[in-house]
Amino acid sequence: MIRDYDMKDYKRNAFRQSKHRGEIASRVRVPGGRIDAESLMRVVEIAEKYGDGTVNLTNRQGFEIPHIRIEDRDKVNEELQLIIENTGVNQGEPGEGYPASGTRNVVACPGQDLCPFGCYDTKELAQKIDKMIFPNNHHVKIACTGCSNDCAHVRLNDFGIIGQTEPQYDPNRCIGCEQCVKYCSKRSVGALSVVNGKIVRDTNKCIGCGVCVNYCPTRAWTRSKEHYFRLELMGRTGKKNPRLGEDFLKWADEESICKIIKNTYDYLDAYLDMAAVESKEHIGYIIDRTGVEEYLKYAMKDVELGPKCEMAGRIYWGGKRYDQTNELRKSMFRFSDREE
Amino acid sequence: MGYTLTRSEFDQVLEGLSEKYRLYAPVLKKGQGRFTDTDVVIYDFVYSSSEIEFEKKSDYSFKEILTPLSQTLFFFTENVIKEADIDDSEAVVFLRSCDMHALKRLDQIYLHNGSHVDSFYKKIRDKLHFVLIGCTSSFQDCFCVSMGTNRTEDGYLFSVNYVDGHYDVDLKDASLEELFADSGAAAGDVTAAYVTENEVEVHVPEEIPNSVIGSDLWKEYDKRCVACGRCNLVCPTCSCFTMQDAYYTDNGKVGERRRVGASCMIDGYSTVAGGGEYRKKHGERMRFKTLHKISDFRKRYGYDMCVGCGRCDDVCPEYISFSNIINKVDAAVKEGES
Amino acid sequence: MSMINRNPYISFPSEILDVIKHTEKEYTFRMAFQGDVKPGQFFEVSIPKFGEAPISVSGIEEGVSVDLTIRRVGRVTNMVFEHMKGESLLMRGPYGNGFDLDLYRDGEVIVVAGGTGVSPVRGVVEALSLTEDAADKHVIVGFRSPDDMLFRKDLANWEERLDLWLTVDGAPEGYEGKVGLVTKYIPEIELKDVSSARAIVVGPPAMMRFSVMGLLEKGFKEENIWVSQERKMCCGLGICGHCRVGDKYICLDGPVFNYTESKDMID
Repeated sequence: MIRDYDMKDYKRNAFRQSKHRGEIASRVRVPGGRIDAESLMRVVEIAEKYGDGTVNLTNRQGFEIPHIRIEDRDKVNEELQLIIENTGVNQGEPGEGYPASGTRNVVACPGQDLCPFGCYDTKELAQKIDKMIFPNNHHVKIACTGCSNDCAHVRLNDFGIIGQTEPQYDPNRCIGCEQCVKYCSKRSVGALSVVNGKIVRDTNKCIGCGVCVNYCPTRAWTRSKEHYFRLELMGRTGKKNPRLGEDFLKWADEESICKIIKNTYDYLDAYLDMAAVESKEHIGYIIDRTGVEEYLKYAMKDVELGPKCEMAGRIYWGGKRYDQTNELRKSMFRFSDREE
Repeated sequence: MGYTLTRSEFDQVLEGLSEKYRLYAPVLKKGQGRFTDTDVVIYDFVYSSSEIEFEKKSDYSFKEILTPLSQTLFFFTENVIKEADIDDSEAVVFLRSCDMHALKRLDQIYLHNGSHVDSFYKKIRDKLHFVLIGCTSSFQDCFCVSMGTNRTEDGYLFSVNYVDGHYDVDLKDASLEELFADSGAAAGDVTAAYVTENEVEVHVPEEIPNSVIGSDLWKEYDKRCVACGRCNLVCPTCSCFTMQDAYYTDNGKVGERRRVGASCMIDGYSTVAGGGEYRKKHGERMRFKTLHKISDFRKRYGYDMCVGCGRCDDVCPEYISFSNIINKVDAAVKEGES
Repeated sequence: MSMINRNPYISFPSEILDVIKHTEKEYTFRMAFQGDVKPGQFFEVSIPKFGEAPISVSGIEEGVSVDLTIRRVGRVTNMVFEHMKGESLLMRGPYGNGFDLDLYRDGEVIVVAGGTGVSPVRGVVEALSLTEDAADKHVIVGFRSPDDMLFRKDLANWEERLDLWLTVDGAPEGYEGKVGLVTKYIPEIELKDVSSARAIVVGPPAMMRFSVMGLLEKGFKEENIWVSQERKMCCGLGICGHCRVGDKYICLDGPVFNYTESKDMID
């Protein structure tokens, strides 16, 4: 049998090239990390029928079914159809599997569906965003987390979406038990203080985590009708310059965030370095090249931020610069210094 | 006198009532629950039947109208002390049988404990009238039947059972007959609905010996209970308060004295000047609360304080069941006897 | 005005007739007061914008004044200390049952008092010191240290008139008085007939518990012991609930309880 396969095409079809000659792995996209039991059964079936009966759980809440023979791709794609339909992932031709793989699965923590601290429906937003941006071959990572705990580690993504609620205070229901003050200080940032038996919230310090609302025994603290979001920009892992995403917006609305994400693809179309390896370049590195201002020209097009929203004046990213030095022994700070 | 009213007829009655009274009823507050996009049922002023939550137990009780969570008593200016104005307009409160029984407990403490009458309470209390919401079925965690509070025969203007979208009224107050007649309500054979059975049953021991205070059963709550006090604050019979003085930060010469709801489960309740605290352990607080509800109050006034509404069970973040505690006390008493 | 319509939370102004300084932290304020009052009762002293504090009556001049001995421990009492003779303080009361002096006038009595616990019994001890059989009135008073002593003048008078045992928990070297907890001296008091002797115990919770134990061991009958309790009190009216212990309200039913009642009062 002649083995001549266009691996680029396989990759765009969400199959990973394996180091085992003749094998590929099927990457199952699960927006928001929530899958129905029927689809889950299908994952199992594919693994048993075409793989070796094992399934990898990916870091981005998808599945990877390894050890599939290259020539079984079409059959596997046919089997994937049920999952693609059940998970509501956008597709080109039915029966031909996933139409792209560059834009990664949108990750979500459990969110308000389960978590007492979740400030919005993370799964729903993840699925909505996925529908908005997929399929696309640009390498973009997005994650949604329900509150400032950031269980979904969204700061390691190009776009990290953190839920916020603006605590509403009714002094007439407040008995001054100070549990909000105590828990804000212990579990959050310590934005609350007592003045004359009532609570004062430092609006600059408050991160909108909702801890005060959770612990208030009287409903003196309630949540804002509006769901708000903090947007973290351009976090990444990687060999060169891994770094945490930086604050870009707080108290932003969902629509603005969606627009910014969508606009980012226009920026990528304009600036992606086609000479990059596999034409795959992280947005963050492109921004390093063009400057943030240029990026924002694209990203903020037609975006109308709400009256509550605050935008960062300047953004500076830190992180490791392995492309500059990897010297540990001569680093500025040494543990031995601390002991003296 | 019984009536069966459609929604619009009932609204007409409420409109008529509103001319004379403010109407205070359980209201479903959208999105104001503890967690994101959850609701809570709290008492508030209403004008029409659509605002009244007939199908859920209120999370917080009606007591907030009589004993506001935060109530200013006096205003202080440089040399003048002014008693705060109390909103004492005539009001009609919609409540269920358990809460009608709770009212008697609140009156006991604020009006009939010793020789002092709480004048702030009395001013509001004197202007309150009641409408009994009939219970067509028991809610989660209710144990009113065990506590003998499932039925209320009098003390209200009328009762209303909300059944299949219509309102069945048993009118007690003859002065309202015209109002009902004018609404076009059909006469009918109606009595206040009440439950005769709850899923939860408790047995309160007739006498609880002091030995129960030292029982091991309280120790479990040293760890389980987080002393958040939600049980006290939703309880229709908990009536404790703490005085709180304040001066306005923008003008230190002016200030106020208020009282705020207090909870025997929350830190500070038993703390005296200088820092001494009489009940530090959460299990001790649980015992203090429990014995008040099912023993100490009865020793003083002849009937139990707890009315079995089960709100404390509904609200506890640690799933501590008060009804279960009552039954544990009962078991401990029986064990002590044998 | 009838009791029903009166607002029981309203305070009345009372002139400070005198201020007696015992220690840095403890002053007695002699307040003009003409009404009925008994030793052991208390007033709520009110400082608008700061709060109220329950203070027990430490002395009475009938129809003229009451003494309020105040320890500076918080927001309210700090403010009280800013006031001087000739100024006024707001207060309401008296509240509580107080001591029934007739119960202790005749025969043998032991009073055990610790620290600020001396305040509520000061009036009782004063009355006892003026009885004919004052020699049968035994008073054990304990303070933390010689510097913490209250009512020095009274102590000197009592020393003359009755059987006073003044002790301190601890003292610097060279101190000549008695040293040791009050409980140490209970067994040393010689009584003619313990079965009819009566006792009053007032002080911090632990001191009261051990003193009562000492008295019972000595042979005192439970019904012959009285204690004065202290709890958090917000309203003084039996409403706010803070001072409740079991089925008793300290502010209404107490603060003075016969031991047969108080032994079952567990916080």
